[in-house]
Amino acid sequence: MKTKTLSEDARSAGTILLETGAMLMSSGASTHRTRLTLERMARGLGYGLELLITQRALMLTIFEQDQPYFLSRLKRISPHGVNFRIVSGISHLSWKVLEENWTIAQIADELKRLKSLPHYPRLLVLGLVGLAGAAFCRIFGGGYTEMAIAFIATITGLFVRQETLRIKFNPYLCVFFAAFAASLVAGLAEHFHIGADPDKAFATSVLFLVPGVPLINSVTDLMDGNIQNGIVRAVNGLMISFSIAMGLFAVKMILNF
Amino acid sequence: MILEILIKSFWAGIAAIGFAVLFNVPRRVLFSIWTLGAVGGLIKFTAMYFDSGIVFASFLGATIIGIISIQMAHMRNSPPLVFSIPSVIPMVPGFFAYKMMLGLIALANIEKTDVYMQTLIETVNNGAKMTFVLIALGIGVALPMLIMRKESIKKSPFNKKKKVTV
Repeated sequence: MKTKTLSEDARSAGTILLETGAMLMSSGASTHRTRLTLERMARGLGYGLELLITQRALMLTIFEQDQPYFLSRLKRISPHGVNFRIVSGISHLSWKVLEENWTIAQIADELKRLKSLPHYPRLLVLGLVGLAGAAFCRIFGGGYTEMAIAFIATITGLFVRQETLRIKFNPYLCVFFAAFAASLVAGLAEHFHIGADPDKAFATSVLFLVPGVPLINSVTDLMDGNIQNGIVRAVNGLMISFSIAMGLFAVKMILNF
Repeated sequence: MILEILIKSFWAGIAAIGFAVLFNVPRRVLFSIWTLGAVGGLIKFTAMYFDSGIVFASFLGATIIGIISIQMAHMRNSPPLVFSIPSVIPMVPGFFAYKMMLGLIALANIEKTDVYMQTLIETVNNGAKMTFVLIALGIGVALPMLIMRKESIKKSPFNKKKKVTV
C-alpha cells in the first residue's frame, strides 16, 4: 500500500511562515497586519492558509489545492519588545515573496538578516529618549530647569529599565523599577526645591514608559474585530500603567510630599 | 501665542523621535516621524487654542497623523504603523493620568466630606479626560487605516502587475 505524505517543501513552508508570524507579533504588529502578511506570503509560495492568532501563540494550517493532506503546527510567541525595523522588513519580504517568487531558502536568509539588524547605539537611545522626556516637560509648560530635571530623570529611568530587562526580571517589575528610579530623581529635585515648578518634571519623567504600542494596537485590534487580542493588549497596557503608578506612589511615600 | 504653539509642536516632534528610536524604526524614516509628530502637535495645539477641548483636539491630530502616515508609507516604503504610532505617543495624556492617580491615592486618606467631594470631582474629571483622549487617539490612528485599507490595496500598483492564483 502506498503512503502519501506531505512534501518536504510544505513542511518547511509551514515552519518559515510560523516564524515570520511570531516575529511580527512580538515586534508590535497588529493582528490584522500579521494575518494579511502571512496570507500574502502563503499565496506567493502557492499554498492555502488558515490561521489562529493569539497574543502568546500562533497556530496555522497550510494546504495545497486538490490535495487531501495538510500541515498543522503551533508555535509559541515570546515577547521581545517593539521593533519596527523587523515589521518594516517583513512587509517588504512578503511583497517580494508574492512578486518575485522567492524560495523558502531566500526567505530564511532574509529573516536571519532582519533578526541580526542592529539597534541604535545605546548612548544615542538614552540621549534621544532623554530629550523626549524634556520635550514632554516643555509641552506641559515646564521651564528650562524642569526640562533638565526631566532629561536626567528619563535617562536614569531608561537605564534602569534596560539593565533590569537584561537580567530578565518580570517585565512589569522592570517598568516599576524604571518608574521608581525616574520619579526618584525628579522627586529629589522637588524635595530640594530645584526649579520653579518641579511638579511638572515629576509628572513627565515617567512618560517614556507609557504603553503606547499595546494601547493603540488594542484599539486597532478591537476595531478590526479581533476582540480577544484587543482585550489582551488592553489589559497588558493597563498593567504597565499600573506598574508606573506604583513606582510613582512608592517615591511619593518615601519622600512624603 | 502662535510662537508658543510652534515651539510646542517642535518639541512634540522631538518626543516622537525619542519613541521612534526606542522602537528601533528604520533610519530612513526618522525625519518623517519628526515631521508627523510636529504636524500632529501643531493641529492639536491649534485646535485647543480655539477651545475645542483636549479630546476632540487629540482626535483631530491623531486622524491627520493617520491619514498622512498612509501617504508616507507609500513614499518611504514602510508600513503605516511605523509612522503613526511614534508620532501619536506624544499626545498620550500622561499628565492627566498622573493627576488622576494622585487623586485616587489622596481619596484613600481623606476623611472630611467636603474635601473628599472636591477631590473626587477632580479625580473623576481627570480620569474621564485621560480615558477619552486615549480612545480618541486609538480610533484617530486606526480609522484612516481601516477606511483606506481596502481602497489602497486595490489601487496599489502591486496588484495591477499580475493576478496571483493560489
